[in-house]
Amino acid sequence: MASKYLTGTGSESKQLATWYFTFAAILFGAQLLFGLVAATQYVMPGFLYGILDFSIARIIHINALVVWMVFAMFGSVYWLLPDETGIETVGIKIGKLLFWIFAAAIVVVVLVFLFIQVGKADATTIWFITEGREYIEAPRWADWGIVVVALGFVGNLFLTGMKGKQTGIVTVLMADMIAFAGLYLAGMFFTDNISVDQYWWWWVIHLWVEATWEVFVGAIAAYGLIKMLGAHRQVVEMWLWIEVAMLFGSGILGLGHHYFWIGTPEYWWEIGALFSALEPLPLVAMFVHVLYDWGKTQGSEEEKGNTNSVINNKPAFTWFVLNAFGNFLGAGVWGFFHTLPQINLYTHGTQFTSAHGHLAFFGAYATILIGMFYIAVQGTNGIKVMKHTRASIWATSMITGGMMGMTVALTIAGYVQVIVSRAQMGATWAGYFDGQSGMWFQQAMDWRLIMGLVIFTGFIILAKDLLTTGKNPVHER
Amino acid sequence: MIDPSVIRPEIALGDFLPIFVSSALVLVFGGFYVGIYTAVKVKMLKPWFIALAYMFWLLTAYCLYLMGSLMHVGEFTAKALVVAAIGLILLPHAVYYMQDQVHKKNEH
Repeated sequence: MASKYLTGTGSESKQLATWYFTFAAILFGAQLLFGLVAATQYVMPGFLYGILDFSIARIIHINALVVWMVFAMFGSVYWLLPDETGIETVGIKIGKLLFWIFAAAIVVVVLVFLFIQVGKADATTIWFITEGREYIEAPRWADWGIVVVALGFVGNLFLTGMKGKQTGIVTVLMADMIAFAGLYLAGMFFTDNISVDQYWWWWVIHLWVEATWEVFVGAIAAYGLIKMLGAHRQVVEMWLWIEVAMLFGSGILGLGHHYFWIGTPEYWWEIGALFSALEPLPLVAMFVHVLYDWGKTQGSEEEKGNTNSVINNKPAFTWFVLNAFGNFLGAGVWGFFHTLPQINLYTHGTQFTSAHGHLAFFGAYATILIGMFYIAVQGTNGIKVMKHTRASIWATSMITGGMMGMTVALTIAGYVQVIVSRAQMGATWAGYFDGQSGMWFQQAMDWRLIMGLVIFTGFIILAKDLLTTGKNPVHER
Repeated sequence: MIDPSVIRPEIALGDFLPIFVSSALVLVFGGFYVGIYTAVKVKMLKPWFIALAYMFWLLTAYCLYLMGSLMHVGEFTAKALVVAAIGLILLPHAVYYMQDQVHKKNEH
């Protein structure tokens, strides 16, 4: 009986996971497309002016990012639940219904963003057009819809986790996902004080991204290493608990680095500085983990005289390794650049933040979720050893290379802003514009657009590979 | 003409680039330290490479010092940076030890 879960055929939970992955991939494409529109508007400010302004393109770019990742995360959980618990997901019919509600709600929200765009400054706009908070602009009706869907998802996860086998991975996911869903509530109410409002809003943004999402990645990495390398479960789960402790230990109060300039008391400087300095440590530890499991598993196979690679899904494993590096570079290096208040005073709100945001979201989350897409393709097609195809190599290289290029371009632009707009011109109105009119900034924006096109082309190749590689005879069955 | 009162004097103009480079190198060198340390432990590299690993940690600690000095961090942040440097040198030892013990317990 268990084999049907492992192959992905016959399991309704895995079928539902593929629905989530498919919708996530479509939203991923939309995210890149609207990112290209916004990047073009930096180079040609009149592009689509009055039809699809920068503010709208940016909203869809960022919200599509958040939502495709949430869809892919839900899909990942539905995929791994039968493997981990040994049973079919409890409440799968409700899970399927919630998927359609969630997908329909997202389509309506995007259409409203596209065609209605703005409304009067009253409650109607908050309820039906946009709530206006960055990254989570969905109107309030959709907010409540998301809460209902998230509760249903968490319910399915808990009921399955309690009924089936309770592994460390599922236990961590149960705790993590309830925090993930609960934190969304902090972004659903308004106060008439902007500092207080921002204080709570950061709970959603920071505690999602730098705490619950990172822990989620740890759980998925643990599952992936067991699945792809045959790594020892106890070793992997031991790591997972270490990571949970380190991520929550440094990540929760790392929140302080968002409180430097929003009107909160000054003690947040010290809290933010201390925990931000510690935040890269779990990311460095991730290196130990991936190297350890790869080295030990390959080494023990070689001792038995087996020189073949222990990796049974090369494209997915490539994305998982890119996750370890990308998380380290994007969240670690590009985060540490400007995390202390003394330097953040100059970098805050410049393209430095954008460089960090792009590489961190890509490195820490997009990579591992794309890896999960490939694990699902392997499972649904009954592939024993999945190899790279020419398309998978091109897609990986173009998306990753394009993202690195874009990050470098944005970093150069950010540096110009730090020097000109902030250090030389004291964050004045004139400084804001002078910083952006210089040659270095403008050329960096050109390169950002070019690199965006490289990423989008890579995405098209990736989509083609995901749709066709399952039937490719190159894989061992 | 920019009012001189709005120019922030905390960091010298020429110090921004060294600050960004040294803060990037903190984690790059830290990554080399952790990577080489683990690779030696799992026998992917010869034992003498361990000296190289510790050299990279020294470079990490120096970059932290340089970065903190150029930013003129306060006393508390300076202590936080020292804690981070100590944490970094201990971390791979602790993580490796725990993982190895679990590995031995389950496979031997």
